[in-house]
Amino acid sequence: MRRLAPAAASFAVLIPAIAGSGCDARHRGATPLAGFSAPFVFGRFEVPADNPLTEESVELGRRLFYDRRLSGNDTVSCSTCHLQRLAFTDGRRTGIGVSGKPLAFNSMSLANLMWGAQHFFWDGRAATLEAQTLVPIQHPDEMAEDLERLVAELSADDSYRALFEAAYGEISAGAISRALASFERTLISSNSRYDQFLRGEITLNAQEEWGRKLFMAHPDVKVSLRGGNCIDCHSQFLTSGFSTRLDGFSNNGLDDEEHLQPGLQSVTGDPAHRGRFKVPTLRNIALTAPYMHDGRFATLEEVLHHYNAGIRKSSTLSPLIAEADNQGAESQEGISLHLTEAEQVAIIAFLHTLTDDDFVTAERFSDPFVRK
Amino acid sequence: MTQSMNVAFLPMFGALLLSSAACSDKQEGPGTQSRSPESTATARPDAGAQRNVEAGQGIVLLRGLPTLGTVHSVAIVELDPEAANFGAILQDFERPDLQLPLHHLYYSPTGRLYSTGLDPKCSLAEVGLSRNAEGAAVIKGVTCLNTQGQQVGEDIIWHSVNGKEYMFVTFMGGTGVDQADGGSIGVFDPQSNAVIKIIEARKGKVAKGAPFLMYPHGMSAYQDRMVVTSTIHPDLATGVGNGITVIDLNTLKPIQNIVVEDAKPVGFPSSPVEVLFVRPSIVPGVAPAVLVNTMFGFETWKVPYNEAAKSFGVPAKAYDGAKAGTGVPLEFYGNDTELFVSHALPGIVKRYRLSSLPDLVSSGSDIKAEAGAHHMIFYPSASGRKLIAVQNNLLNLGKAADGDPTDVDFIAKVNDHSITVHDLQSGERLAKLSFKDRYKKGVENVEALFGSGFVHHH
Repeated sequence: MRRLAPAAASFAVLIPAIAGSGCDARHRGATPLAGFSAPFVFGRFEVPADNPLTEESVELGRRLFYDRRLSGNDTVSCSTCHLQRLAFTDGRRTGIGVSGKPLAFNSMSLANLMWGAQHFFWDGRAATLEAQTLVPIQHPDEMAEDLERLVAELSADDSYRALFEAAYGEISAGAISRALASFERTLISSNSRYDQFLRGEITLNAQEEWGRKLFMAHPDVKVSLRGGNCIDCHSQFLTSGFSTRLDGFSNNGLDDEEHLQPGLQSVTGDPAHRGRFKVPTLRNIALTAPYMHDGRFATLEEVLHHYNAGIRKSSTLSPLIAEADNQGAESQEGISLHLTEAEQVAIIAFLHTLTDDDFVTAERFSDPFVRK
Repeated sequence: MTQSMNVAFLPMFGALLLSSAACSDKQEGPGTQSRSPESTATARPDAGAQRNVEAGQGIVLLRGLPTLGTVHSVAIVELDPEAANFGAILQDFERPDLQLPLHHLYYSPTGRLYSTGLDPKCSLAEVGLSRNAEGAAVIKGVTCLNTQGQQVGEDIIWHSVNGKEYMFVTFMGGTGVDQADGGSIGVFDPQSNAVIKIIEARKGKVAKGAPFLMYPHGMSAYQDRMVVTSTIHPDLATGVGNGITVIDLNTLKPIQNIVVEDAKPVGFPSSPVEVLFVRPSIVPGVAPAVLVNTMFGFETWKVPYNEAAKSFGVPAKAYDGAKAGTGVPLEFYGNDTELFVSHALPGIVKRYRLSSLPDLVSSGSDIKAEAGAHHMIFYPSASGRKLIAVQNNLLNLGKAADGDPTDVDFIAKVNDHSITVHDLQSGERLAKLSFKDRYKKGVENVEALFGSGFVHHH
């Protein structure tokens, strides 16, 4: 096995040790989640055997998600960087936590996290959702909370004592991580216009349909097939990624060789993974600007412009991107999709069909501390 | 008998099936995962990567056997021979209200699951699938669709013509099984499931010598031409077909009949059953042609197609089962290297080099299934072994009210009521599941649950 980079290694060792401490698989008396249903077409998902979805764990997790006491100075909650109305992103280039310093990465959308349930974060440094939940809480710039102090603080709250007792039988760091992960697993977005299209409930308009076809197609001049080349990397675009090893991490040509950021390499230590970042969900993409791991693009138009004419060559650039050209062989001026303006607009129109208004307004995902 | 003309063009295990986009050939299974070309050998082994257990599961249509007191159903079944619960029915969704069973499952390009049906109450249905809190697939309902009176649903294909996508369904009973020369093709809106048009041209109703449509069953389409087989009247007695009908998809009207018949080894007309329009999306660079299996002729025919002139050439026999000792050829399935053809007698699957199509050049030994070898699926085992499962039942259109048809008529000889699982490469049989022995039911059809794992082609 490759040696993990130091920072990642410390998290990798620390988090499972905390998350694995002393919880029952399902606390006696906890109620299996009722009325749960997810779209078949999203594919199979696995819920960890030691953290089954229960009514109690989800309710507790929702409360924790929105509770600022999870930060060291009680000013920042998970929802600070993950606002429901923005599909659980924050609209910033990169998040800002308790330290006030810009964080390293753009805040990722939280939707359909049960699919592709490994390698969380842009660089894949958390292997499970449970592990992921405790990283921001402890990060000095994000929430800067000490887990022991947090457990003590929550233990002093009668309502939390009851909620933890019902869900896990104890208050612990492990129970906190499990509860947050359970709530996040229920953040299922499945009622966008595109979902409705898949269910046969609506039809897309002509421009959206054109965009859909371009989205799905890898360009092939030999058969006069024009394509936006999106699906090649974003095949799991309705969920949160891949479940197969390190599939779903890609260098999408943001930087040249000299300026490549570590990305996945910071976790695996593999030079071939330099510049490769997690391919994110595209669900609700029209709500989650700015884009890319560092939020460098403010609009979808800028994103399309990048893929059409802004690709930077490097040793780890995705071959799927390097080879895609609607005019045939790689042109002299560099890599370009050679999409027309109208084609780019059509793809963006299609991307807007991925917006799920129900998801961003559903009360069950909302802040429980807000009085209605 | 009955059924589709599926050619499965393999995994691409790819891009969610959500992409009906470019053409109907590119259908991907639900929830499938793409293998990124960037997943190189340099990627470290990942203990967290889990196999999708649904890869080894199938969805089957089960026929209740009247003499054994069972009812028709749709079921999810474990088909991985390496699984401890191989053969277990994980969910059985029964439809006791149906006199005749559902018939053949198809995933649409957008991942919706449909079934044709034999019962007049349910000649076409959409099967609702969902997932429970453990992630497992759940059959949540079977919604019978309005076919405007069309009966005995057989095959389904999705195909785009002039930028518009349609769902085509053959109804071997047409708008009434009482019609001696009936049969229709339902043209449906693939989003709303509404009937757009019924293609009907009964031989006795059209002008003498005019193109007709009778007992339609297998379909396959290329560009603006569709070919449809003429098989047999649903009562198995009134009439038998011996040709294919060409449909102009611009007008949705029959324009030509082509006879595919030679010797009559059992004394009946040839009864073309399934058809495959071999085309460049299946075999790059191929000169298009049509392959036709004749159920009672025991033959496979090849009909050349001149793409420029939009004309079909003279049919030629590509395979003679009477000489080769096989009978009742049924389905075409395929992966990315081979074409598979099932022969109900003696119960084998023959395999051919895909790249040699439309000529049938053997690519290996026959896969020895059981009498009635019919539909098939392709999937990996838990250990990654490539498998083929064959459903062994020549479907029967007899009436349940007459007793258990599988026990009383000639078709019983080709109804093994089983699924056999084989190593795809060697053909070695690894397991057999007898639905009659274990569940007192017959098995009408099998489809891979985890997406198709392959792509239907017709």
